[in-house]
Amino acid sequence: MTAYLLNLATLATIFGILAASLNLLIGYAGIFSVAHAVFFGLGAYAGAQVAMLLVPDVLLACLAGGAVAALLSLGLALPALRVRGEYFVAASLGLQMMAVTVFSEAHALTGGHGGLVGIPLPTLLGFDVSAQGVFLTVCLAVLALILLAIRMLMRGSFGRSLMAIRDSESAAEAFGKDVRQLKTLVVVLGCALAGVGGALFSFYMMFVNVESFTLEQSILIMAMVIIGGTATLAGPLVGVLLLLLLPAALSFLPFIPPTQIGAVQQFIYGLAMALLMIFRPAGIAGQSAGRR
Amino acid sequence: MSAPLLSVRGLDKKFGGLAAVQQVDMDLHPGVLTALVGPNGAGKTTLFNLITGNIPADSGEVLLDGASIRGRSPHHIARLGVARSFQDLRLFARMTVRENVLAAIEHTAWLWQPGGRSARRAREAAVEQALERTGLTAQANARAMDLAYAERKFLSVARILATGSRIWLLDEPASGLDLHSRARFVSLVRQAAAEGVTICLIEHNLDIVTELADRIAFLDRGAKLAEGDPQDILRDPELIGIYFGERRT
Amino acid sequence: MLFLQLFISGLQTGAIYALTAAGFALIFGATRVFHVAHGATFALAGYAYLACTDAGLPWPAGALAALVLAVAFGLAMDAFIYRPIQRHEGSFFTVFVAAFGMSIVVQSVIELVFGRGFVTVSSALTMARQVAPGIYLADIFWVAAGVAIALFVLVTLFLERTRAGIGLRALSENPELLRAYGLSSRRLSAMAFGLGSALAVPGAILTTMTSGLQPAISHQVMLISLAAAVVGGIGSLRGAALAGLLLGVVENLVIGVLDTQWSAAAGFVVLFAFILFKPSGLFGQAVTR
Repeated sequence: MTAYLLNLATLATIFGILAASLNLLIGYAGIFSVAHAVFFGLGAYAGAQVAMLLVPDVLLACLAGGAVAALLSLGLALPALRVRGEYFVAASLGLQMMAVTVFSEAHALTGGHGGLVGIPLPTLLGFDVSAQGVFLTVCLAVLALILLAIRMLMRGSFGRSLMAIRDSESAAEAFGKDVRQLKTLVVVLGCALAGVGGALFSFYMMFVNVESFTLEQSILIMAMVIIGGTATLAGPLVGVLLLLLLPAALSFLPFIPPTQIGAVQQFIYGLAMALLMIFRPAGIAGQSAGRR
Repeated sequence: MSAPLLSVRGLDKKFGGLAAVQQVDMDLHPGVLTALVGPNGAGKTTLFNLITGNIPADSGEVLLDGASIRGRSPHHIARLGVARSFQDLRLFARMTVRENVLAAIEHTAWLWQPGGRSARRAREAAVEQALERTGLTAQANARAMDLAYAERKFLSVARILATGSRIWLLDEPASGLDLHSRARFVSLVRQAAAEGVTICLIEHNLDIVTELADRIAFLDRGAKLAEGDPQDILRDPELIGIYFGERRT
Repeated sequence: MLFLQLFISGLQTGAIYALTAAGFALIFGATRVFHVAHGATFALAGYAYLACTDAGLPWPAGALAALVLAVAFGLAMDAFIYRPIQRHEGSFFTVFVAAFGMSIVVQSVIELVFGRGFVTVSSALTMARQVAPGIYLADIFWVAAGVAIALFVLVTLFLERTRAGIGLRALSENPELLRAYGLSSRRLSAMAFGLGSALAVPGAILTTMTSGLQPAISHQVMLISLAAAVVGGIGSLRGAALAGLLLGVVENLVIGVLDTQWSAAAGFVVLFAFILFKPSGLFGQAVTR
């Protein structure tokens, strides 16, 4: 039972990193990316390769994962600078679909469909951090650092600039905001953090393959952010807990056969997304719409 | 009269085959309030958009302090001290009143602003002052989307006020204001002009124009038909005829 | 010869994409709703046809059931999801998320009822014969091509010649004009959803007979429709149809050059390139950033 709870907690922490980083794009900057799992995957592959080829150091792998994701996030920044709304969603969908194919075909880097197997046990500055509880602590520390950084940045001028662009791009420009630079910066930052989450994920699973980085995963992360509430610090975390605890809770219900849990879970979060958009578009933790 | 701060020379813009702005010359002088007057579709807002770089001009020049700013991006022109408002306000709806004004004066597109604590204090002071002058101090923590109509209009002015810009381009800032708010608005703009701000405003209400304007530029179908003293322009029966919808032949 | 064969199967796939994408474009053009649950409409129609055939009903009954279910779903989305959202806010993203949520719901229901695997309906139409050396063709190719062309002509005639059709085209551009015509925008929007959803039905039935169905097909169809609508120029019906055809052909031709795995990605490379370099698409008006 303890092992089960620790497992759930570690996964929740990693998804917390993903949701918090996607919230930077969706909630604060109004960039509706449906390709977040791509950067999660890039970080996971990069982290796994570093661990397998160099040293299995968590810090180094996280840096490598973040760097690779940041570098390739320009593939997302480019359309974000050129188009908005429907067009950007379509572009990010396109990117997601291309990435899945590349992930499953670039055998040398990703191991193809079989994935990368045999990722060594993680260390941190020479200390073994592979025990489940210890690794959870490391993940929690990373999440806490990231949340702290996001909180500081979003309460400062960077956050205000992003929200200004989200609410009115033309007015933001009229008040001296360099929209291109700000958008590029937030895309790089958000994707890099997803890459960090990916590196942690690869250590935790000790195995990565393309199944974890598909469109379905991107949508799950998006659903976490939206159901929890965009543009708040707590919202994405609430969403993560709800959507991760859901299958766990469902598995305790005797009348649902275990093979159907996935479909039932999808049914519930799909319905939750639709109903929330109708009745409470700001999400569970978000501020409700205007009083007027 | 002193040298113009902002000059527009032979500005041209066509949309499809339609001339939105044609061969417009205009000078804006420090401390002088110029009103752009003309019927709907005369090209007044387009002229603003050409000056602020929101749309590229086909030909002509925009000079700030004698140097060309044509072809610069909107954020660059804003940083040079040209501030504008929008007909539909374009407030940062989900941010608070204070954040709206603060965001308007934080220009650096990096993770933090330069200048450290003293610059930060100066910005905060500028925000509080702008809120006080526009009467929004009590609403500072309300979200822009929750404000009443007149308050939203004043917020759009507060954003401009805080920037300390030398040139204000105001697009129908007083439309829809009740009499009391209108009086407050007029004194606010007068005070800014007296402090040396160069103001150009688009306004349909001729009462406000007479009350405020030092000069009037009259636009119709993209061309400037006349410019001069408010009395002269508003007494010209031909221009007034155009303004109230009697088309020229 | 291989390329000719691939080109022919590309045309067949493309005809299905073209019809489905035209439905999506019709809905978007008239109502400005980015109806991403269009893929769910397609899946529902396909599975309805499948269920009827499995129950031993003749094919016209299955087709009718598919049509009824598709149109009903489209109308229900309009009435119960999009309208309530547009009443209070209606930002693009809110609509998108709600539609996406509903398409996940449909996918999971299908999975619960029909299972996760591939299912097909066998038909004599799909028996391939050699028509030229190395070229195989099944009768279903002619059915697909004929249905696509006939429906496209019919829809074009409807949009250009009838009062309701002209109203549909004017809906997004000039709502005032509609009042002058005495048409209700509400009824027109329902008509767009009904007609657009109906256009997904033939493609769904043909797919049931050829490549088969699986619950995830709603996602795939949504992506293709979306890609075709963007590449064709959002809101342009003939653009979407042409782009759908193009995507079908590209997907198949790629198999001749690279592995089959790359065929799905090829379409999205086209999509991505269009968004970066020509976001207005083949026939769309220029979009401002």
